[in-house]
Amino acid sequence: MHIPDGYLSVPTVIATYAVAIPLWIIGFKKLKKRLNEETLPLIGALSALSFIVMMFNIPIPGGTSGHAVGAVLIAILFNPWIGFISVSLVLLIQALVFGDGGISTLAANALSMAFVGSFVGYYIFKAVKKYKFAPFIAGWSGIVASSVIVALLLGIQPIFWSEGGHPLYFPFDLKTTFIALVGSHALFFGVVEGIFTMLAYRFLQKREMV
Amino acid sequence: MKKKLYMLVALLFVFVPLGLLTNSPAWGEWENEHYQKLLGYIPSGIANAKSLDAPIPDYAIGGTSQTLSYYLSALLGIVLLFGIYYFLLKVLKK
Repeated sequence: MHIPDGYLSVPTVIATYAVAIPLWIIGFKKLKKRLNEETLPLIGALSALSFIVMMFNIPIPGGTSGHAVGAVLIAILFNPWIGFISVSLVLLIQALVFGDGGISTLAANALSMAFVGSFVGYYIFKAVKKYKFAPFIAGWSGIVASSVIVALLLGIQPIFWSEGGHPLYFPFDLKTTFIALVGSHALFFGVVEGIFTMLAYRFLQKREMV
Repeated sequence: MKKKLYMLVALLFVFVPLGLLTNSPAWGEWENEHYQKLLGYIPSGIANAKSLDAPIPDYAIGGTSQTLSYYLSALLGIVLLFGIYYFLLKVLKK
């Protein structure tokens, strides 16, 4: 789901940054409030989990692969703003140090994987909290919602930005992109995110409260 | 919860080379040649994309094995994340 540089048109890049920057500012203020000597190890370790979990590339039929994100776990253990900022930092390191994702697309990737993933996961969790599988449902919903945003951002590229019949940026149409991305996350990576969120949440919450 | 979280990080860290078992790229994150083969051209925005030269592209450190590179990359990621939070705590809270 990491959109690389060159896949999004300049107006899309500007629009995603225009939305992401104010959200980052709010998120950093929330992080500053919550960050202290006691929470730093927890927030650090949860961010580390997100970083590592994204390194587990899982192959699926059709010759592609994907991974969990870990945003929902942070969102339901702390709050969605912390999930958003932590995963944004993970994405920043991935882009700057490892060439995974891109700089121009950092805002797009942060909005989808970090912001939408965290908030959708958090509110779904709140809604289904009384059920045994709430963390699974939250994890699945969060990452599937993220994939919807990625599919929309990529899928609109050929509609608006083509020249002489050739798309200038990401070339595949909305329907194809939607089926490939949302479908694979609903069927495979969402299940992985759900299981990861559920197991980690259960393990961490057992016999103690945050 | 701190101890358990560290255990969880350590557990996943140990198994991180499992992520190398597949060579399949993520959908939509192909090499440029893939577009050439599939479409007969590379969309110009993708062909001319300007990107920073990442110091450790694709989590591969030159001169070391794939597995060691992956371990070192994971470690570096963890150190950088804790470093950022430490920086935020120490510098911005003052």
